[in-house]
Amino acid sequence: PGGARAQQQASPGTASSSGGSLSQDDIARMLPSTDMGANAARNADPHLAPVNDSPATPFDAAPIPHNPLAPDAQAIGAKTCVACHSLENVQASHSLHVASFRAGAANTGPQAACESCHGPGSEHAKNPTAPGSIIAFTHGSATTPQTQQEVCLGCHAGGARQHWIGSVHQERGLSCSDCHNPMARLSPEGVLAKPSINEVCATCHKDIMAKFNRRSHMPLPEGQMSCVDCHNPHGTLTRPLLKTDTVNETCYTCHAEKRGPFLFEHAPVRESCLNCHDPHGSNQQTLLVAPLPMLCQQCHTMTRHPNDLQVPTNLGNGSTPDERLMGRACLTCHTNIHGSNNPSGSRFHK
Amino acid sequence: CMALPAVAGDGSDSMRVGDLQYGNGLDPRGWTPLMAPGDEGMSWLHPGQLRTPSGALYPYPYGPPTRPLGGGDWTYWGLLELGYIHVNGDRNAEFFRQYTDWKNGAALGLFALGFDNRKTGGYVEFRGSRLSADDQYYRLRAGRYGSYKIEAFYRDIPHTVSTSAYPVWNGVGSTDLTLPSGLTPGDSTIAAVQQASRDAPRRSIGLTRTREGLSLEGELYRHWIGYASVTNEERNGTRLWGGPMFFSFAFPSTGSPYGGNGGVLETVRPIDFTTTDVNLGLRNVGKLWRFNAVYTGSFFRDHKDHLNYQNPFLITNVVGLPNAGLVTDGQFSLEPDNDYHNLRLELSRELKWHGELSLAAAYGTMRQNDTLLPPVNCTGTLGFAGGPFQQLIPCADWNTTAALSESSAHARIDTGLFDAKLSFHPSSAFGWHADLRYYKEDNKTRYLAYNPLTGQYGYISENGSQGSVVPGEVGIFDNGYYSTSNVQIANIPFGYDDTLFELGVDWNASRDNSFNLVYTFDHNEPKHRERKRLDEQRLKLSWVSKSLGDATLRASIEYADRTGGHYDYDPYEAYYSASLPGYVPADGIAPTAFTVDAMRKYDMSDRKESKARVILLYPLGESSTVSATFYGSRDQYDAQVGRQNTRTTGFTGEWDWQPSPRTNASVYVGAESTHLKFANVADNEAIVGAAGSEDPSLGGPLYPLENYWHDLDNERDYNAGVNFSHDFGRVRLDLGWNYTQSLSKLDYAYASTAALTHPDAAALTPDDAFPNNHYRSSTFSASLGFPVTRSVGVRLFGQYQSGSFLDWHYLGFDDTLVYDHRIYTDEGPQLHYSVTVVGVMLNVKL
Repeated sequence: PGGARAQQQASPGTASSSGGSLSQDDIARMLPSTDMGANAARNADPHLAPVNDSPATPFDAAPIPHNPLAPDAQAIGAKTCVACHSLENVQASHSLHVASFRAGAANTGPQAACESCHGPGSEHAKNPTAPGSIIAFTHGSATTPQTQQEVCLGCHAGGARQHWIGSVHQERGLSCSDCHNPMARLSPEGVLAKPSINEVCATCHKDIMAKFNRRSHMPLPEGQMSCVDCHNPHGTLTRPLLKTDTVNETCYTCHAEKRGPFLFEHAPVRESCLNCHDPHGSNQQTLLVAPLPMLCQQCHTMTRHPNDLQVPTNLGNGSTPDERLMGRACLTCHTNIHGSNNPSGSRFHK
Repeated sequence: CMALPAVAGDGSDSMRVGDLQYGNGLDPRGWTPLMAPGDEGMSWLHPGQLRTPSGALYPYPYGPPTRPLGGGDWTYWGLLELGYIHVNGDRNAEFFRQYTDWKNGAALGLFALGFDNRKTGGYVEFRGSRLSADDQYYRLRAGRYGSYKIEAFYRDIPHTVSTSAYPVWNGVGSTDLTLPSGLTPGDSTIAAVQQASRDAPRRSIGLTRTREGLSLEGELYRHWIGYASVTNEERNGTRLWGGPMFFSFAFPSTGSPYGGNGGVLETVRPIDFTTTDVNLGLRNVGKLWRFNAVYTGSFFRDHKDHLNYQNPFLITNVVGLPNAGLVTDGQFSLEPDNDYHNLRLELSRELKWHGELSLAAAYGTMRQNDTLLPPVNCTGTLGFAGGPFQQLIPCADWNTTAALSESSAHARIDTGLFDAKLSFHPSSAFGWHADLRYYKEDNKTRYLAYNPLTGQYGYISENGSQGSVVPGEVGIFDNGYYSTSNVQIANIPFGYDDTLFELGVDWNASRDNSFNLVYTFDHNEPKHRERKRLDEQRLKLSWVSKSLGDATLRASIEYADRTGGHYDYDPYEAYYSASLPGYVPADGIAPTAFTVDAMRKYDMSDRKESKARVILLYPLGESSTVSATFYGSRDQYDAQVGRQNTRTTGFTGEWDWQPSPRTNASVYVGAESTHLKFANVADNEAIVGAAGSEDPSLGGPLYPLENYWHDLDNERDYNAGVNFSHDFGRVRLDLGWNYTQSLSKLDYAYASTAALTHPDAAALTPDDAFPNNHYRSSTFSASLGFPVTRSVGVRLFGQYQSGSFLDWHYLGFDDTLVYDHRIYTDEGPQLHYSVTVVGVMLNVKL
């Protein structure tokens, strides 16, 4: 733990063994310990003898995952991989993910960079075309999605991925590399498989993306927000992968004024914004799920004005214009529909 | 087990809400100018490009060329795109401007700069773009791989709500809307109001969100990783608002130059918000245990928490008595300041059989204690007096905070969450999980509408206007003149407890076929609602198949059945004055029925829901992909009155082609149809207050079956697009066309013309349908990029967008915004528009 030792994932039959090729322990010995900047502190202290061993990143300590399809494979070091995969090496160096391993490699000669994700390479080197001889993350790979996920989670477990297990994307057999591509710089952030988050999500969720073309929508097509502003595709405590405890708390993160609580609350509003709004887009004003006043008339049958059938003659160009239908209809009077903090606001018109 | 030391460079961004995307209308990606793949592709070992495990093609890599910085270990890359944009045509079209502040003049397309230290793993990256002072972003990321990360941003996001608003008031954007000279508060003729509306200058309604934020993340000690982030948003501008001075529809103009009785005003409110959010997180990832703690704090401040407006119309009573005073002023409370705190603790432990136990608990509280405004802001005396009607409203008794039972809101809602999940995958073929989730929302707000000055309960309705028009309807209850009035006298603290249990099994039938079955039982206990219990059972079956050649198919079907306890059509009696001692039924008749007993609110009614979805990804040859989605849902609500059913059916299809790094193309189409049906029943207002009006039954005297009616809303949406780009070497060409069309049709049906406010109108609308609404938008875009030198290029681009729109809500508004005692501000979106954007950008690789 303290010093960085390349750690083979503990699973049966994978303890490092001596062999003709470079072993886990050989590589481990070549790695300097990751000091998390301790040397810098030491060098800054005039009372201590200066040290000048070059700093390294924690990626020197990256584990080498077990490849169930090549259980006896041994690590052979990045330089061996690059001998054939030279262009991959160049492209990958643009990606934050691989550059971090290279930063380690810069200090320590042959080490586990490639094999930290692809598993020990000896079998693959012997027989490059044998399916499963190396852990692969692309279409047609013999490596199961589960193995692929476990490799990434080897370092990226917890935090934003605390609830990956059992999340809808995990259950549907998605692999991390369905959305991410650490082998090239394709996106400004997040080592994505497409240039933007929204394009990644649209790979499967085109119907949702299309709704953002509607008359009222949030500024997603305009590049001002992304799906991941509200959803965490890595799994959360809610089925729709919302980042907060409830729908409303997600909405409040941008619409904090709606949070209140108000002196007088409107039951469906406090219950769920989705009762009246479709956050992905709508053909009505302000993301409403139905035209006004019909939206309100689905619940409001109260005596007198709410329950009349509205007809086109009540429009602005009709014979009997009616404020219950024109413009913003009910909201022209019941304007504080999200809740009123006025002592006379029990019907949201104050 | 798999967990190993966490990496601090592994961001928590996708755990925190907001600010993950930086772009604008010119370049939604905020990255496009850097997407210039080299010819070499991804590998010398195979042609073409690889695909994602599901079968989508990865784009060809276009890593920016890096150069050494001095002689050291640092390298850098950068790009500057700077130019000029010109907008022609209907540049003020609402749908064109909605979230982009297009302007003529210089624009910063993109400035991106990155530094990397190959030895230490240190990096610094910056991105920025600017279309205008209201539409720009600047983003900085820096850190050291695996050790720490700093992120900072500043951005302005525009939102245009209307570009054809004609408010008559002075002081738009402030808390006081005053009438222009020529209009007398509470005493203007219709003609004068019409003139003022015609004279009002055209304005835009909208706002700008100015956000900035800073976040730090890094390894604190060993495997303990922490982060802290602060964001601040200033939201400034205006929104369309209201102004109720009681009904106008009920009182057709008498021919008097002053018009009818009530008044309906569409006003403009100010937006002047500050929201500060704080996020703190601490996590530890070990071999077996994973711990995650997150604190979220949000602090909203409204710098303009009320709106006063003047009413131009003469408000008179229906019994022909002289009104004691003019109703000149109205007032709104705007959103109060609020504070929010949420603390969540999460703990997971790996178990054998690829198992995991995951526990989470959260406590949240949202609170506000704003000083309350007085019940009214009128002065003098309103209402009327004569004969049996002694309905004077002495404003002095109500326009002071001494008229309140409490001086501030003391509003508070606490929330609690507990989630326990257990999952096992004992073999690669089989797995199961169980999840128990409990969530509670406890509304602690208690407010009694009682005026200690007068000893009366209730409030002053609609700024005193209702009491100035209708006998007995001031909004007050007492043991004297108002003893027969049934009004709301307290807030209703809505909340709920929700318990959700889920059981799921995974079965990998073969290498290429896996199935997943999930059963969910959701038990909800709403507080102070029509039902005390709602139970929903849900079954979802999913199938993932890679057995159809190279294709990946993901399909799911879902069925849910919601039932519940007894439905009480009026659970609110305790909050109305009829529940108070001294309440006297008028003429000995019980209070008029609150609503019809057959009503079932759609969040409370029995419901059967079925859903299906198929997502297909099919690699077509080496260089193209076909993807398609088919989906549908059906909801059946058990309601004679209320929402009865909804239907959605849709399809999307796309073909992506990427034959070489220099060329790519895509074509997509989409269609969706939605349907909504609900029923309602007009009450027989002739008997309100008379015998029979206490009867809530459908088919009874107050809600006769001949007043029963239906609305049917049908919507169809179509999308299509073609995009092509090719790099000819001397020039790079990008072409795009994107089209969207939505049609909405609203039909209605009724048992008899008694369902209408004006039965004789039925003859004038034989189609029983509203005019069809539509929204169409078509955008052509083209771009030509010429390399001048190896590092300098020029890009010419153009975009032609046209659209058409109809929404019957606004019909007639282009002729006048004043209808008797109604005045509107927003004329509505433009019916037709076309805009051309052209520009030239100089592109320099740094």
